Parts: sequence; structure tokens; C-alpha cells
Amino acid sequence: MNAIRVSLLFLKLGVLNELQYRVNFFVSLLQAAIALVTGLVVLSLVYSHTEELNGWSKSELLCVLGVQILMGGAIRTYIQPNMTRLIEDVREGKLDFALTKPQDSQVLVSVREVRIWSAVDIVSGLIVLAVGLSRVTTSLGPEDAVAFAVALLFGAILIYCFWLVIATIAFWVVNMWHAVELFDGIFQTGRWPIGIYPTWLRVSVTFLVPIAFAVTVPAEALTSRLDWQTLALSIGFTVVALGFARWFWRFGLKRYSGASA
Amino acid sequence: MAEHAVVVDRLEKVFDVPERDPGLVAATKGLFRRKTREVRAVDGISFTVDQGEVVGFLGPNGAGKTTTLKMLSGLLHPSGGEGRVLGFVPARRQREFLSRITLVMGNRNQLQWDLPALDSYELNRAIYRIPREEFAPLRDELIELLDIGDLVRKPVRQLSLGERMKAEIVGALLHKPRVLFLDEPTIGLDVTMQKRIRTFVADYNERYGATVLLTSHYMADVEALCKRVVVIHHGTILYDGVLSGLAETFAAYKTIGVALENGHADLSAYGEVIHRDGDWITLRVPKAETSAVTAKLLADEQVLDLNVEDPPIEDVIELVFAQEKPE
Amino acid sequence: MTTVPQSVPREAARIRSMVDIYLSTARMAVASEFQYRTGHYFFLLGMIAEPVIYLVVWTTIADQQGGEVQGLSAGYFAAYYIVWTLVRNMNIVFGAPYWEYRIREGDLNRDLLRPVLPLHYDIAWFAGWKVVMIVLWLPIAFALSLVFDPTLSPRPAEIVTFAIAIWGAYLIRTMLQESLGMLCFWTTRGAAIFDLYMTVELLLSGRLVPLPLMPDWVQDISRFLPFQWAFYFPIESLVGDLSNQELVQGLFVQLLWILIGLAIFRVAWRSAIKRYSAVGG
Repeated sequence: MNAIRVSLLFLKLGVLNELQYRVNFFVSLLQAAIALVTGLVVLSLVYSHTEELNGWSKSELLCVLGVQILMGGAIRTYIQPNMTRLIEDVREGKLDFALTKPQDSQVLVSVREVRIWSAVDIVSGLIVLAVGLSRVTTSLGPEDAVAFAVALLFGAILIYCFWLVIATIAFWVVNMWHAVELFDGIFQTGRWPIGIYPTWLRVSVTFLVPIAFAVTVPAEALTSRLDWQTLALSIGFTVVALGFARWFWRFGLKRYSGASA
Repeated sequence: MAEHAVVVDRLEKVFDVPERDPGLVAATKGLFRRKTREVRAVDGISFTVDQGEVVGFLGPNGAGKTTTLKMLSGLLHPSGGEGRVLGFVPARRQREFLSRITLVMGNRNQLQWDLPALDSYELNRAIYRIPREEFAPLRDELIELLDIGDLVRKPVRQLSLGERMKAEIVGALLHKPRVLFLDEPTIGLDVTMQKRIRTFVADYNERYGATVLLTSHYMADVEALCKRVVVIHHGTILYDGVLSGLAETFAAYKTIGVALENGHADLSAYGEVIHRDGDWITLRVPKAETSAVTAKLLADEQVLDLNVEDPPIEDVIELVFAQEKPE
Repeated sequence: MTTVPQSVPREAARIRSMVDIYLSTARMAVASEFQYRTGHYFFLLGMIAEPVIYLVVWTTIADQQGGEVQGLSAGYFAAYYIVWTLVRNMNIVFGAPYWEYRIREGDLNRDLLRPVLPLHYDIAWFAGWKVVMIVLWLPIAFALSLVFDPTLSPRPAEIVTFAIAIWGAYLIRTMLQESLGMLCFWTTRGAAIFDLYMTVELLLSGRLVPLPLMPDWVQDISRFLPFQWAFYFPIESLVGDLSNQELVQGLFVQLLWILIGLAIFRVAWRSAIKRYSAVGG
């Protein structure tokens, strides 16, 4: 498919580009280490005062931490760079290329950038996940692994949809410079079982900013908490979100090209 | 140093610049070892500027003009040699020194982006401790001279490039500096705006007797403002004197324009044909041969009209700039 | 900057002009930042995610443990983290990332040509901005109080101390961050150092959890570092139960750290400018 070929091309370019900046690698390593240490410190602090949180044990919550770091890495590697660049381009009126190239505009703006060094977070998250899993008492079967992979994939796509919608809003509200920090702040909710949050917050981080589907649901798959209804909801919601995001994107693009005529 | 506003003696500035070759192999190697190259941005220049003089520094990009100005305004420490402005060593950045100079760079903002220029002027008043009685009249006078009356009330980000430049200049002159460093002040501006700013600088110099050091790669800036021009290339001074002398020093040729009865004649035997415009042919000949070629043309061809000219300054400068750095 | 002792009238004029500069800058900051109030509002809203999460986690633990964690009630946690949002905002200053920007974009040249230390401009600007921030924060704090039911009944002495302490915190953090920002003159990777600093600060300042919940050895180390005096102390002065003596002592420790930070900054600044003038911008 053309979209995949384009994505791979940009990926290669991005990697070549990033390899030039040796310092970025060490910086990313440092940042990943910091994020990891902070997360572990908080966890141990919490569990020094209690045995379990909302029914989740320490090792189970370690799994959640692993998934959150892993997902965060994926977002920072591939999704955020493209979306923040998109927001900037909208602000500076640099989107004309998207309208004049033969490829689909949505694909173009979604795959241009990649920050490969953020992938260290993906690795770090996997390690934490592995450690957490090794301590979890309940045994897992292949269907859990499949459920996990599916939940993770669809969760990531949902986050992408969310970001695309936010970036599209930039067509109207030009100044979105705090979007990343805002998102990072809210993303932190994914570290904890969403059961502890008051209802309004729980609903927000499920359907408004789909953190629950991106982090908690995959973690549930690995800790034998996932029921097929939730997984089905995740898939269904993702499909709807994808449709909406695409429609919204084209709507915004129409407005953009109309405005800058 | 009473008479000289600026004294520069064998000033030097050397940078260590990292080198990076293209390609993946070099990039990976670059992860472990860094190559650097020595760049002599300013390579031993000397000159003096009297108070009230307007001097133009002409040179292509990378010639060392901006680096020189930065050293004279205290932003950079020289690697060698010495520069003094109004008797001060710029690098010490003493308050008395900074209050007497101003540096205006072509595409840099000194004004607050989101607020009207008037607010930034107010801040400058506080910073330079300009007494209020002096401040308002001078500010208003400058605003009028540059004709930006209403614009100073609008947020700076809403102004066009030319308008912004004018507002910047007002801000830069509020503290009545004795020495003005103008770095490419007309860059990116349209022709009308460029003329406006040149006129203003000339007026200001006449009114207030300020010393002006101006850099540009536009010949027109220098022609309009400076009796004295310093040509800088590859960090050295190639010429320091009056503008009219430039052609004499560098241009070893003259142009002969001739209109012939037979418009299609081949004149390449006489000299280099550089232009054909209808019946008018322009030849370039070495200076020494000018009279000989002219005489020959008049004798051997049916000449309707002929004139001999100095080459245009722009061409001269272009040739000068095109010279490679001597190794 | 000359350090020759000056006569009294000159000194008075200098102080007067400093006040003038501060007021002009602060006024500009208020006007300028007020234009972006929507953006700031969103920033504030995003920022409350962090304390709300901690609040929920700790109140959950408190409820699970029968109402208290180490003597701190759920209502205390609510009060702690709501006041946290204000103190966190007072803590935001020009840091290493901004210095990197300043150097790269050439703004530093503009600031260096002025006969005033950029530090003054930074402090004055953010002071003005903080005023705008405080005004925007009030409705958020009110809303949070309705949702989370904090226990808060401060004495007048505590309120006064708090009002002073938040500005003390601002100055401490300014000195530290500006000093840290000087590293940007030697490396373009100031962001990494900034992250490292933020992490240490996160753990030792009371930003993560009220300090009494940290292990004892952490609390001991933290006592000798400036971080808790820019964060935990201001919050605790309002929310906790400190004696008058402790309140005054805390303010003095803040002052001490401001002076230490200022000294560090002056040394760092001198080095940094030497470096900048040698290498250029």
C-alpha cells in the first residue's frame, strides 16, 4: 500500500537524520533512566504505606508502569513529533505541501517525523514490564498475549486519533503551544488503576483522552483482568475514532485551504 | 584618544568550527571523534574612525564585517590585536561604554514582540536612565523623522518588516548614543524603505554628530551614506578610502559603448564584447589600451556614437568579492 | 559591572533606577502575558493533572488505611495538593531551556548590549507574570476545593508567612535555575541537565509527596538542600501546623538560600560571559 511505502521512506530518512546527533542518544538514555527511576521511586513510596491499591498488587502495578512507559515511548517516537510539527506548520501556514503532493495529506502529516532515540523508552518499558510479569502470580496463556498485543495496538491508534483531533483544532485555535505538556500531564494518570479516580476523571481519561484504552486495558490483559467486552469496546471505539479523526482532518484542511486562498 | 571615536589595531578573531562530512560512515565516526577547523573570521585589521564620520564596511557574507562590529560593541572578545571605542575597551562592557553606543542588527528584534513599541521605549528609558524631560521630546522627534506615528501604538508583531526596522531604530537611538553600529540595516527591505532609512541615518549623523559604522553588502547603502568605504573580504581589509577611488584601485578596465552603422559587426578583435543591445555594443578593454582601441574603432569602423566609461561599481565589487581566499 | 564604591547620592540614584526598571518590566510582562491568558489557562489546567493524581492516590491509600497515612488525613492531602498548584506556579521561572533559546536566537546579544544584568529583567518579568498567574489560579483553586474537600483553617500568622514565602520560593528557584542555565553556554544539551535537576528536585522538594512521607534518610538530606524551602515550606506554612518560631525560621532559611543562590549565580555568570565572548553567538 502506498501509505506504508511512504511511511517507511520517511522512517529511513528520519533515522539517518537522527544518527547524526550523537548527543541525542545519550540524552534520551538519560531521560529514559530518569523517568524510570522516578516511576519506581513513586511506586515503592506508595507501596511502603500500603499493601495494594484498588485491588492491584505492587507487581501488577509494575506492569502498568511498564506499559505506560512503553506506550509513552511509542507516542514520543512517532506520534507526538508529527503532531507537534503539524500544529506548528498550521500556525505558520506551511501546510501547502500537504495539499499539493499526490499522497494523502493525512498520511503525509502523520509519518514525516520520527524521533528514534525516544525508542529507548520503549525498551525500558518492556524491561519493566518483563520484571513485573515475572513477579505476577497468575499464569498467562497465549490468548492473553494476543489480547495484550491487540489492546496495545488499538490503544496506540486511539492516541493517534486523539492527537490528530487536537492538531486539527489548531486550524481554528492557532496557539496550541502547551499541548504537549498538557498531554504529558494527563498521560500520567495512566500509571495508576483508573478505579481510584472519581467518576468524572475516570470517564475523561477513558473517552476524552483515551489513556485507559492505551495503558490500563493492555495491562489488564496481562494481569488476567481483561474481559472480552472491554476489548471489543476498545476496538469498536478505535474504529469510530479513526473515522471521526479523518473526517475532522479533512474538514479542517478544507477550511485551511479556503482561508489562505 | 580625543579625536578618534574608534581605533582598531591588528584586530583578530579566530573560531574553532566543527567539521562534519556527509554520509552514514562519517556520521558514525563522528560519534566518537570530533574534527575542528580553524576559521580566521577577522585576520588582523587596522583602521581609525573620527568622531562624526560615517564609514561603510562593504563585503560579501562571511567577510568578517559582523564579527568586527560584534567585537567593537563588546559582544565578542578579540583573539588578538586591540580595538577601542570612545577610549573604552568594549569587551569590559562597562556601563558608561554601553550607554554611549548602540548596535542595530538587520533582522534581530530588540523590541518586545507582543506590545506596542512605545512600551519598549519606556523600558529603554528606565534602562538607560534617560531623564524624562529629555526622553519624550527626543522620542517624538525620532518618531516623526521616521514617520511611524501611529505604528508605535500597535503591537510590534503586527508591523511589516520595514515598519519594524524603523521602530527598532527609534528604540536604538533614544539614549543618544555617540557611536552607532548598524549591521545590515536595510536587509530584506523594499527599495523605498531602504532609501528612507539611508536618508534618516544621514540626517541623524548631521544633526547629532554621531559616529556611524555601517556594514552592508548592498552597494547602494554605501554609495548613499558613506564618503569613506572599507572593503573587507576573508577577514582582511582590501581597501580603505573614498568610494570613487574604488574603481581606480580594483578595476583594471574600462567599458567602451559604441553604435555602428553596421550593427552586426564582429568587434571581438577590439576587446571583450560583454553586451549587445540592438545597435549598441559594449566592449570591455584593459585600461591601458583604451585610447588605442578607441582610436582604432573610430578609424576602421563606421561609428555613429561612442562613449568611454568607468565600469559600474557593482561590477567592480563583484569581481573583488569573487576572489578566492589566498592560501 | 564596576564594583568601585560609589557616593551616596549615586547609590540612591542607582536604586531608584533599578526600581524604575523593575516596575517598567513587570508592567510590560503583565500586559504581554495577559494577551495569552487563554494559553496560560490551558497550561494551568493541564498542570493540575499531576497534583490531582497524587491527591487521589494518597487519599485512596488513606481511606484504605482507615483515614490516615502516617498521621496525615485525606483532608490534609487535599489541602496540600491544592495549595501545591499555586506554589508550583510560583516556582516556574526562566530555566535552562530558556537560556538555550536565548543564546540560539540571538536575544542574548540584545540583552548584553544593555547596561543592566539580564537577571534583573528575568526576575522582574516573571514577577509581573506571576501576578497574572495568581489571578487566573484563584477560580481553579476554588473549583478544586469544591471537588476535593480540603481541611484548611490557617492562622493569620500562617497566611502572612505564606504570602511572603511564595515570593521567597520564587526567588530561590530563580537563583538556582539561572545558575543552572549558565551551563547552556558550554553545551547545547541544557535540556538534559534540566531534566536531571527537575528529578532531584521532584524527589527532595515536597513536590511528589509531603516530605514526612519520604524515608527518613531522604528527609535528612533534604534539610540541607534548598529544594524543600522553595516548595514544601511554603505549602506547609499554610496547610500544616508550624509554630510561629518555625514560621519565622523558615523565612530566614529562605533568605539564606536566596543569598547563596545569588552568589553562585554571579560567579557562574562571569564565567559564562567570558566563554560567550570568546566563542561568540
